[in-house]
Amino acid sequence: MGYQFDFSAVIGNWKLLLIGLQNSIILGATCLVLGLSLGLIVGGMRYMRAPIVNWPATAFVEVFRNTPVLVQIMWFFFAFPIISPVEINAFTAASLGLTLNTAAFSAEIFRAGIRSVEKGQWEAGKAIGMTYIQQLRRIVLPQAIRRMLPAFMNRAVELMKMTSLASVIAYGELMHKAKQISTLEFNPIEMYTVVALIFFALIFPLALFVQRFELKLKDSG
Amino acid sequence: MGYEWDFLVVLRDFDLLLLGLVNTLKVTVLALVLGVPIGLALALLRLYGNLVVRAPVGLLIEFLRTTPPIAQLFWFFFALPILTGIEIDPFRASILTFALQSSAFFAEVFRGGIVSIDTGQWEASKALGMSRNESLRRIILPQAVKRMIPAFLERAIELMKTTTLVSTISYADLLYQANSIAQSTYRSLEVFSIAAAMYFLVIFACSMIVRYIEARLAIASEAAH
Repeated sequence: MGYQFDFSAVIGNWKLLLIGLQNSIILGATCLVLGLSLGLIVGGMRYMRAPIVNWPATAFVEVFRNTPVLVQIMWFFFAFPIISPVEINAFTAASLGLTLNTAAFSAEIFRAGIRSVEKGQWEAGKAIGMTYIQQLRRIVLPQAIRRMLPAFMNRAVELMKMTSLASVIAYGELMHKAKQISTLEFNPIEMYTVVALIFFALIFPLALFVQRFELKLKDSG
Repeated sequence: MGYEWDFLVVLRDFDLLLLGLVNTLKVTVLALVLGVPIGLALALLRLYGNLVVRAPVGLLIEFLRTTPPIAQLFWFFFALPILTGIEIDPFRASILTFALQSSAFFAEVFRGGIVSIDTGQWEASKALGMSRNESLRRIILPQAVKRMIPAFLERAIELMKTTTLVSTISYADLLYQANSIAQSTYRSLEVFSIAAAMYFLVIFACSMIVRYIEARLAIASEAAH
């Protein structure tokens, strides 16, 4: 157990780690924005009754919720390029996997959130002459979104953790940089400890904020 | 798009994929078996331990919950052996990582379930002269566990999905097998699609069972009120 810790190689490579961190955040932010937007559309489609709209949306949600996200990323990186007309690099493949995965999960959040709004709210909107879209936009969504916020923030937390999977297909995010540095400098203990701490420092405040926010929401009813 | 699909190549190696699936299930089940009791212990320590214990246990749970599992796995596989001098194979590293990682999530499920039980139940058992341990074991946990079942099963499914990470440290799970078949046959489209379909079938079946149990529990609790 007499291991001598030596963090100098980690500190010496801080520029590489910073680039990795940047790439992690870029990947996470891109997929969050795209995933939530797509999730809203898919969630809306799942809320409709017409089978031609409902079924594809349901199939999409079930497939992406019930397969491991790493398999999705690997599929988009190794399998998809064979039939894709455009070239797929590691960033595109990782973004595709993470975005579609996030979309599938957030579609369910949207659907549950909209469903949680009382029926009387829809009817009241209708009674004062609003169209379906108006009822949704002006009455239902503003109430539902407040309830959905904690679930979305949890998705963001999960997504930030999942960006580390892009290292498997050699996208230069934080985990991948750590792998490179530890192979070059033979310092896996220091490197992987530090990288875990960086992820913790990045994600824990977000998780803590979600917990606080949930409590506040519960208090205000 | 004149790609010619050829699934025969994959079917020839289907037994390798099945073996991978068995290994995936093995890691999942072992991690579950170890993770649930550790989770219960962590939850009890976080709830009822003294201050000196509570803070570090809380920190440990949060740390395991908010760091990516791949970072944990790499730490246990690449860093721990150097630190302790004990050789650790991919299988053991995977079990260790996923048992600990899932125990943190199970701990929160346990804690949520225990906290959700009305304080009147504690008071009633106290009034009967039960000690805290007795109340917990006889009154609180039996009620709490029932409420926790859905959250529990969902975590188990999450765990199965997370175990795909073991392929990155060369443990021969389904994803690893798929990857190596893809490399030897150059048929990555077919191989990865079939592997994804296999994952989907298993996980979707589990999800359906979970939904069924949830529905049954919801009916049961409605009937009880």
